[in-house]
Amino acid sequence: MGDLLRGILKGAVGPKDNDSRYLLDVHSRDLPGEDTMARYADNDEVDLVVVGAGAGGSVLAQRLARHGWKVVILEAGPFWHPDEDWVSDEAGSHELYWTQKRIIGGSDPISMGSNNSGRGVGGSMVHYAGYCPRFHPSDFHTHSLDGVGADWPITYDDLRPHYERVERELPVAGQDWPWGHPHRYPFSPHPISEMGATLWRGARELGIEMRVGPVGIVNGTFGNRPHCIYRGYCLQGCKVNAKASPYVTHLPDALAHAVEIRANCMVSRVELDDATGHAIGVVYHDEVGGAERLQRARFVAVAGYSIETPRLLLESTSRRFPGGLGNNDDQVGRYVMVQGAAQTAGRFPDELRQYKAPPPEISSEQFYETDRSRGFARGFSIQTVGPLPITWSEHVLADGHWGRALREYMRDYNHWATIGVLNELLPHADNRVTLAEETDPYGLPVARFDFNVGENDQRNMDYSTKVITDILKAAGAQDVLTVHRYAHLVGGARMGSSRDSSVVDPHQRVWGVPNVFVSDGSVCPTQGSANPALTIMALASRLAERMASGAAMQQPEVTRQPVG
Amino acid sequence: MPDFSRPDHLPHLRPDGEPPHSSWLPRHRHGTTPQMIGRYPDYDVLVEVDSWDDATRKVVLARLEPPGPLRFFSEQEEPTLRAFCDTVMAQDSEPRVPVAEFVDDKLAAGRLDGYQFADMPDDRDTWRLVLAGLDESARDGHGKAGFADAEPETREEIIEAFSHGQLSGGSWDRLNVSRAWSVVMRAVLTGFYSHPWAWNEIGFGGPAYPRGFMRLGPVSTLEPFETPGASQEDPVRAVAEGEY
Repeated sequence: MGDLLRGILKGAVGPKDNDSRYLLDVHSRDLPGEDTMARYADNDEVDLVVVGAGAGGSVLAQRLARHGWKVVILEAGPFWHPDEDWVSDEAGSHELYWTQKRIIGGSDPISMGSNNSGRGVGGSMVHYAGYCPRFHPSDFHTHSLDGVGADWPITYDDLRPHYERVERELPVAGQDWPWGHPHRYPFSPHPISEMGATLWRGARELGIEMRVGPVGIVNGTFGNRPHCIYRGYCLQGCKVNAKASPYVTHLPDALAHAVEIRANCMVSRVELDDATGHAIGVVYHDEVGGAERLQRARFVAVAGYSIETPRLLLESTSRRFPGGLGNNDDQVGRYVMVQGAAQTAGRFPDELRQYKAPPPEISSEQFYETDRSRGFARGFSIQTVGPLPITWSEHVLADGHWGRALREYMRDYNHWATIGVLNELLPHADNRVTLAEETDPYGLPVARFDFNVGENDQRNMDYSTKVITDILKAAGAQDVLTVHRYAHLVGGARMGSSRDSSVVDPHQRVWGVPNVFVSDGSVCPTQGSANPALTIMALASRLAERMASGAAMQQPEVTRQPVG
Repeated sequence: MPDFSRPDHLPHLRPDGEPPHSSWLPRHRHGTTPQMIGRYPDYDVLVEVDSWDDATRKVVLARLEPPGPLRFFSEQEEPTLRAFCDTVMAQDSEPRVPVAEFVDDKLAAGRLDGYQFADMPDDRDTWRLVLAGLDESARDGHGKAGFADAEPETREEIIEAFSHGQLSGGSWDRLNVSRAWSVVMRAVLTGFYSHPWAWNEIGFGGPAYPRGFMRLGPVSTLEPFETPGASQEDPVRAVAEGEY
């Protein structure tokens, strides 16, 4: 369907081949089908075993189940029952995060846990804010265009049909999008809060264009998923079922098509048959201290995201791959990226009460592309956010206040509006995941993530912080507070057209292993300044299409020279 | 009454960089706030407790139960822990949000945040070293028996140096002091601002499921149960002039 028609018909056109929205219950948040889902024995050779029930793993499983594949998803975290497990409260949402230990190092260590790591069925999209922008076409060629980063072995056009399909499934709500490849959204933009409006006025003063959305939050009704109630707890797990996550968008349909989700199962390695070079399945623990189990499968998809996917590959040693699966060229775990995510808050005379409405409201990609006059390559996006009290207190602390001064700023909470950036930080080989000496309760080495900000990165962040501060001042802010931070993850098992500079081929298949795929954000060679969730789902959707047709199992047609 | 539309009370905008004494604020009249200081004298988030879902109500109301006893920290560490938590959150009198007990419970339960700096020990060890370091700083720099025995001004001086990563010697040399500050403050702030009394102080709407929020602006940002910050406005005159 053409973009014009899609834009006009809006929510009247539902997604095909995905009934999740009808399978959900209006009155209960539990994932329907848990009690009746298929169960496979370890010795059943299933068609596909997926490691991780997040954005990448869930979409892949749902798609292939629709093609009749027998699929088991192994998830390290719990099987959520949101009515009981999730709360409308910041501190009470601690269990949603991957809080198992990771070691962080480098010159700029990156906070993990609530910042970027999910655990449990639905993955980190359970607690992402909800922004669902696409990557720009330029993101797939940053090396050719701007001489930085890397070129992907695929292009925007390869992903575009899957962006459109996933946007209908979430569904994404927003105004017509003028940046990157201009497009429309299947749902109309949400109303915005007074905080969002205040920031927008500031941007307009400076000639900065902003648009409402794009957010994966239901505006209207969508099958049995209700309208958003604007309670502002998107980052604490949506108890309404209005915000998209695989838990509501793909897993109900997956369970209805004979997918088994085995929760609380920690995978310790991909088991390789050294004689044939094929994986025979994955080894996992279903309890701490429990015996190892092996789930046999024809194909393995690793979908543990940028820290756990490299960790699992590195732990999967064999005679053929003594340094970890697919790591004979020392590429696994390299080029992990985060985005600069500084936030600046401004003080206004009226009570704006920034805790109301979803934290993601309006955004701009006007600064997304390279403009050499700014003094750095690539760019950043601007997005409004609405921190709840604990997050707001960390913001105040970061500006240097504690004690009475902190309490004073905190009492002023309702007068503040917060706006943030996402900087495209460039991929560097030394920003990488390795195995630490310390082990977790399963006896597996924990991941260590080292991160160093580069010179281009720093210039980008300095420039963008000034832009958002200017927006606040133009809006009439009486005082400003800034926090420098990082968000999101991609890379670590990047795709490429040559095995000596990447981990997976253009089909997301691990170089040198015919039946192991990576289906998550770790395959991204660059990250743009877009939030990664939609792209991770679109990549999984594309991979599923090619696995179902068999195209992904053939030798890749290398269409580009390796660069970057 | 003060005029809250003006920002004159914000430390950035004051010549001494300090907030005004809390006596500039109205007396809290309804419900509880820490030290009974607040900006919303007639607002009590707990009035809405019947509108919260069961799971949330259980989690939030548990914070109002009598706190303690400490399980993680020792009797020797307790006075320093309390003095530190009181000073960094400016809790100099009752009613207090039980921050020390929150931190103790988090560490005793091993409810950590999912990351550890490569140049730092485990968060639990960091806490113990910080408390030891605070005592050492009070003893060596100010001749006190321990941090808890120091005058409020001395404690604030030590903590100001801590917040800038400027403490050294003894236990501090086993830590990256700036990172230790962020580790301990993350736990302290979570404890304080997860408490409904703190929500009363700052006028936060609290849990909102299944009710949601409906007043997003621009006409009003106040739900029916919320009250505006106390202001200088004379309600009689405002009504007379048709501003309501």
